Amino acid sequence: MAVDRREAAIPVAAPPAPTTEHAAGAAIRQSSLWQDAWRRFLQNKGAVVSAIIFIIMCLYCLLIPGFWKIPGIWTSLKDYDPNAVDFSQSYAGFSLDHPFSTDKFGRDLFARVAQGGQISIAIGFAATFMILVIGILYGSISGFVGGKLDNGMMRFLDAPYGLPYLPFAIITTQILSPSGSVSVWTMVVALTIASWFTAARVVRGQVITLKENDYVRAAKAVGARWYRVLARHILPNTLGILVIAIFLELPGVVLGEAFLSFIGLGINPPTASWGSIAQDGREAFRLHPEVLFIPCLAIATLVLCANFIADGLRDALDPRTRETG
Amino acid sequence: MATFIIRRIIWTIPVILLVIFMTFVMMKQIGGNPFRKTERNVPPAIQANLERKFNLDKPWYQQYAYYVKDVATFDLGPSMSQRTRTVNDIIKDGFPKSLKLGILAFLWAVVLGIPLGVLAALKPNSIFDYFAMFFSTIGFALPSFFVATLLIYYVALKSGLVPTNGWPQGFFQFDNRIILPSFALGLFPMAYFARLVRGSMLETMQQDYVRTARAKGLPYRRVIGLHVLRNSLIPAVTATAPLLGLIITGTFIIEIIFSIPGIGRYFINSVFNRDFSVVMGITVLTSLIIIVANLFVDIMYGFLDPRTRDVR
Repeated sequence: MAVDRREAAIPVAAPPAPTTEHAAGAAIRQSSLWQDAWRRFLQNKGAVVSAIIFIIMCLYCLLIPGFWKIPGIWTSLKDYDPNAVDFSQSYAGFSLDHPFSTDKFGRDLFARVAQGGQISIAIGFAATFMILVIGILYGSISGFVGGKLDNGMMRFLDAPYGLPYLPFAIITTQILSPSGSVSVWTMVVALTIASWFTAARVVRGQVITLKENDYVRAAKAVGARWYRVLARHILPNTLGILVIAIFLELPGVVLGEAFLSFIGLGINPPTASWGSIAQDGREAFRLHPEVLFIPCLAIATLVLCANFIADGLRDALDPRTRETG
Repeated sequence: MATFIIRRIIWTIPVILLVIFMTFVMMKQIGGNPFRKTERNVPPAIQANLERKFNLDKPWYQQYAYYVKDVATFDLGPSMSQRTRTVNDIIKDGFPKSLKLGILAFLWAVVLGIPLGVLAALKPNSIFDYFAMFFSTIGFALPSFFVATLLIYYVALKSGLVPTNGWPQGFFQFDNRIILPSFALGLFPMAYFARLVRGSMLETMQQDYVRTARAKGLPYRRVIGLHVLRNSLIPAVTATAPLLGLIITGTFIIEIIFSIPGIGRYFINSVFNRDFSVVMGITVLTSLIIIVANLFVDIMYGFLDPRTRDVR
């Protein structure tokens, strides 16, 4: 998903760079860059509200399953066990006991959506992290070395670009788990393999732009080794873009996981993810649409928040892009 | 220009070979084959015969060579679980339906998305602009299966305007069943186009040559229609290729939800049946489409923006 969105959203030029060579000057300039960015981010109302909702969602997912009990309000429930089956409560509808209703087996969706959120968000962040690590390695080597190697490495990327995303991810999960039991890590690896190459291209473009900067030439001229140039001058300047990239990458991965689970090729039951809860809700959605709609709304909220946060961060870290929107 | 096109076309050949190789390796890695799916004992001799029939006993490079030859001649072999059908039959059956779904979705995106972006850019920060951007943000965030089920629930079930599922048989047959699936699939590209076109139009309108055109007295309509619109639609052309990939991914989901017998549904069923000649055939077919679309877009881009020709 979202192949081009990421490339389009990432600014071509890097944010003004803190030089790390002179220790004293660096400290001042570095802090002022991030402080400036922070101040600009706080001015962006949409981004701030999204960030707050995002944090609340993460807290809800982390805190609810298992041990969240409020005495006096949710007393009739023994505890919010996401997998506790109670057939008398099948499709119970909205109530104080079940704020998000229940599914076919009477499992409380308030707990289940939270637990599914843990899985979905964990997969999202883990896969994003892996995509960025591989993308940075591949892209920075390709862009930094340049020449024939760069050409060859980028030409190779044309092949995975030609593979359709969803079949690619599905086949990878099938390879990694021949028995058909898909674990969280299988999902992470499959989603990473199916979508790392955009990040690699973006990082390469960044590195090539940065490589031409005067301070990089100066560092080279005074005899800095290539690894020092790469580690101290080029990679730190991609940091801002990487922060943005996390929130651009995340929605695509969460959606990819949801797609796979919704088809029935994702995480195995009874472990829930938002996609698999939505899949559970599909069979009876004509009568009880809420079981399907609630996890979908959770996915949509997360994606929306991540998009707004990415936009806010981009405006904050690179004010020049703001005029064109 | 001719050399650019020829070089670009020649380059797609190794890419196609590499993609076929990657699909090939992936399918080799998938454990098990359809003959071992059941618990029932297959005698070793029959097992060996079956493997020989499908060339599974040859070394991998020979299997790969066979497969490349088969793909080149559009012979994707027999289905491994449906004995009477070949992969070609399945593709012939499903592909037109998926193609039609994709084309209709793309039409929604072009017919609604681009005008939405243009109008929003003409009156920035107006009510209409806010509406268009709100719409495109929503279209960006909602997963397509959510859009599809929402449409089924509210448009098909509650108000009964259209049937909930199904798809007209022939390629040129149209009825009210095509509306919901194509709209659900087209919403994301639509939102994407709207946002992209708005951004690039706002940028183009600030260019010097636009100011010059205004300054020498050309009417506003003419400047927008002739100078701005042409240049600001270039990004939309470039975005077509990645959007195509998204539409292909989307058809898999939409076909399942609306019970459309296209290749996406066949693909998923074949994954469950471990019918890897079908899985492989459909993957290769969609890859070829994406590669050819990329090729086409690159060449188009070469025409539209001559500066890109020399770089590659």
